[in-house]
Amino acid sequence: MSDPQTRRTVDHGPEMAAATGRSGAALDRFLTFGAVVVLFAVFSITAKNFFTMRSILSLALQTSTTTIMGIGVTFTIITAGIDLSIGSVIALTGTVAVMAAIAGVPIWASMFVGLLTGAACGAANGLLITRLKLPPFIATLGMMMVVRGVALTITNANAKPAPEAFGGLGNDTLFRAGPQFPGISYPVLIMIGVALVFHFILKRTRIGRYTYAVGSTEEAARLSGIKVNRVKIINYVFSALLAGLVGIILASRMVTSQPNSAIGYELNAIAASVIGGTSLMGGMGTVGGAVIGSFIIGILTVGLTMQGANYFMQQIVIGLVVIFAVAFDQIRSRR
Amino acid sequence: MPEVILEVEGVSKSFPGVKALDKVSFDLRKGEVHALVGENGAGKSTLMKILSGVYQADEGTIHYKGKEVRFHDSTQARDAGIGIIYQELNLIPHLSVSANIFIGREPLTRLGTLDEKRMNRDAVAILDRLNLHIDPTVRLNRLPISKQQMVEVAKSLSFDSEVLIMDEPTSALTESEIDELFSVIHTLRDRGVAIIYISHRLEELKHIVDRISIFRDGRYVSTDDYTAISMEEIVSRMVGRKLENIFPVRHNVPTPEKILEVRGIRRTGVLHDISFDLYRGEILGFAGLMGAGRSELARAIFGADPIDAGEILMNGRKVSLRSPSESIQAGIAYLSENRKQEGLAVKMQLAENITMANVGAVSPRLGVISRPREMNACRQYVEDLTIRTPSLTQIVNNLSGGNQQKVVVAKWLFCDSKVLIFDEPTRGIDVGTKFAIYELIERLAREGVGVIMISSELPEIMGMTDRVLVLHEGCLEATLVTKNTTQEEILNYAAGLGKGTQS
Repeated sequence: MSDPQTRRTVDHGPEMAAATGRSGAALDRFLTFGAVVVLFAVFSITAKNFFTMRSILSLALQTSTTTIMGIGVTFTIITAGIDLSIGSVIALTGTVAVMAAIAGVPIWASMFVGLLTGAACGAANGLLITRLKLPPFIATLGMMMVVRGVALTITNANAKPAPEAFGGLGNDTLFRAGPQFPGISYPVLIMIGVALVFHFILKRTRIGRYTYAVGSTEEAARLSGIKVNRVKIINYVFSALLAGLVGIILASRMVTSQPNSAIGYELNAIAASVIGGTSLMGGMGTVGGAVIGSFIIGILTVGLTMQGANYFMQQIVIGLVVIFAVAFDQIRSRR
Repeated sequence: MPEVILEVEGVSKSFPGVKALDKVSFDLRKGEVHALVGENGAGKSTLMKILSGVYQADEGTIHYKGKEVRFHDSTQARDAGIGIIYQELNLIPHLSVSANIFIGREPLTRLGTLDEKRMNRDAVAILDRLNLHIDPTVRLNRLPISKQQMVEVAKSLSFDSEVLIMDEPTSALTESEIDELFSVIHTLRDRGVAIIYISHRLEELKHIVDRISIFRDGRYVSTDDYTAISMEEIVSRMVGRKLENIFPVRHNVPTPEKILEVRGIRRTGVLHDISFDLYRGEILGFAGLMGAGRSELARAIFGADPIDAGEILMNGRKVSLRSPSESIQAGIAYLSENRKQEGLAVKMQLAENITMANVGAVSPRLGVISRPREMNACRQYVEDLTIRTPSLTQIVNNLSGGNQQKVVVAKWLFCDSKVLIFDEPTRGIDVGTKFAIYELIERLAREGVGVIMISSELPEIMGMTDRVLVLHEGCLEATLVTKNTTQEEILNYAAGLGKGTQS
């Protein structure tokens, strides 16, 4: 009935509307981006060597994996789902790719096999959620254990060294120019590419539009003829595919397959996504937000390390950032 | 004259950008049912929230039982004896009836555990006072909505409420449940409880209301004895102008061309072998009581719910009923009565909602949406349907109910739908806007679509349809030509009393 909010936006011009809705999200993103700049400035002043080309490039490299995962999980969260199997998928894809390479498959093809493994995990998540109607939390929790178990089983829980050429993707750089500029690592370039492509998918394509629609009001989406199940499956495949990409990058950086790697990474990805403004209720979230969220975590980690704070301290700080980022959102949206 | 229990004088309340109440006065007598009516935005809810302590007035006074009061929160108001029952029930579905009634103040045993026995005993005592026979140990969500609402009334009474505010209490009830609610209201009134009754359904007021107050645009308009004022007068005061006609003049002419044929639709326990035809340019009503299967039939035709047998033909061609997307492609559209859950993606933009069922039309290549095309298409519908919005990117949740309904219509027109099924198209929409919706439906029929209109309001069926199907417990009881029938005849069939079918 007489909801003053409604009347206000209906009765007044666009100035009023600008204060609500999606333009509000733009403001949020501006604020979070502002937080990145402030953090960066603070560490540049307080931590020696933070503001150098070398450490900035290393920051980008370290953050690239969180960013790629965060983008993937953002898609599932926008549909009001979640993906807890990311860490395990990372371990399995890396393992499978390295084993293929050891078996003599060409490097690029073995990496491709890894990606396919990831995609298959995502399809399994999607099918469990849509066909068996499992809550995404349960389906991906189960898959988290299953996939990890498979990775451990096929390797006997042993790390295996990969052929040297396998390390190229993770360790080589582009545009190397002497000691001043060590070059941009491939993972960073991949991150930029992934961010651009998935931003485009989310904002400009039908599948992106449907992702928001399913997360906003699932039944309305279904009654609009949107194939909700298909949309969900595609989103879980996206998430697992990007996790697979991270798995290959990590295996390549280590030049080994490590079935015990990436435990708990999904939580970092979710944290990055949430700091970037994705709503666990679904219907809201952006690729840009996930990128910014990852960088906030990345800058804190690198900056605190350089200041000599230990790992435990970093955990406390990052945890508080997650809590206050969301609390801040809640307080803002309440008025 | 009975004593005045509650008196509001010169109360105002502003929110950023809007004055919701402007020096409003109003009084309530002991043992009366006092209706409060007005369009959306008239300020009824704001006033009720001030009375029940949710909001505080900016100025003005409230006298309750002779003393000036100022409630700072709803607990204070409730303890003083002013209870409110919202449209959306404030109960916990998974707890028992007695647990719901005593929530937050459960009696304890000496050991500090819940005293279930006492709770159940006291709950029975309260329910008895309302002549209700509900098992207090049953889980709330096992009860029909009407009984749940009675539990809410009982809960409110358990605080010894002397003033009870009911906001749209009948919106989710069936006819017989409404009668039950009314008898409870009568019981309460006879016990001296003063009741403020808010409703959009002006028709039902005659059964219970003693006085009626009308609000418009945050201002108080008038208070009258209900018997001293005509329905036309009420409506014209609510709207602020004379409403010449409730329904538009109908120019649509059903053609002999069958657009939709429904053959033997069956769904065990829900729909029993239903067949009918819809003609181009026709408005076909679905009448029946709540639970008669009208929405279920519509959803079956739309492919939203599975069926056990039957088929439908659009323009003579068979339509698979596996999913809505296939029905949509065939040109069928269903406009659900639950706009916010089933009709709209409320967190998304107006333009995104309009194109939602047909994004392909603005995605020229590889599924990439062309934003300029999308905007152009939507601009046309916004103008054509006079959707009042500050911009095409407005979030739909911020639009009024009538405008949201138009957005849903635009969505289906954008799919080039040939059969539009409106399920309770004017529910929750205020009187002034209803006419616009009726006009739109009439225009669609005139322009050659087939319209099915499901409605629980018989005047709406009588005023808007060419023919009417009457359903009763999932069976098609009668197919009537509207101008040759009466509300009584429809009601008889709807109640299952009609003799012989003419389908």
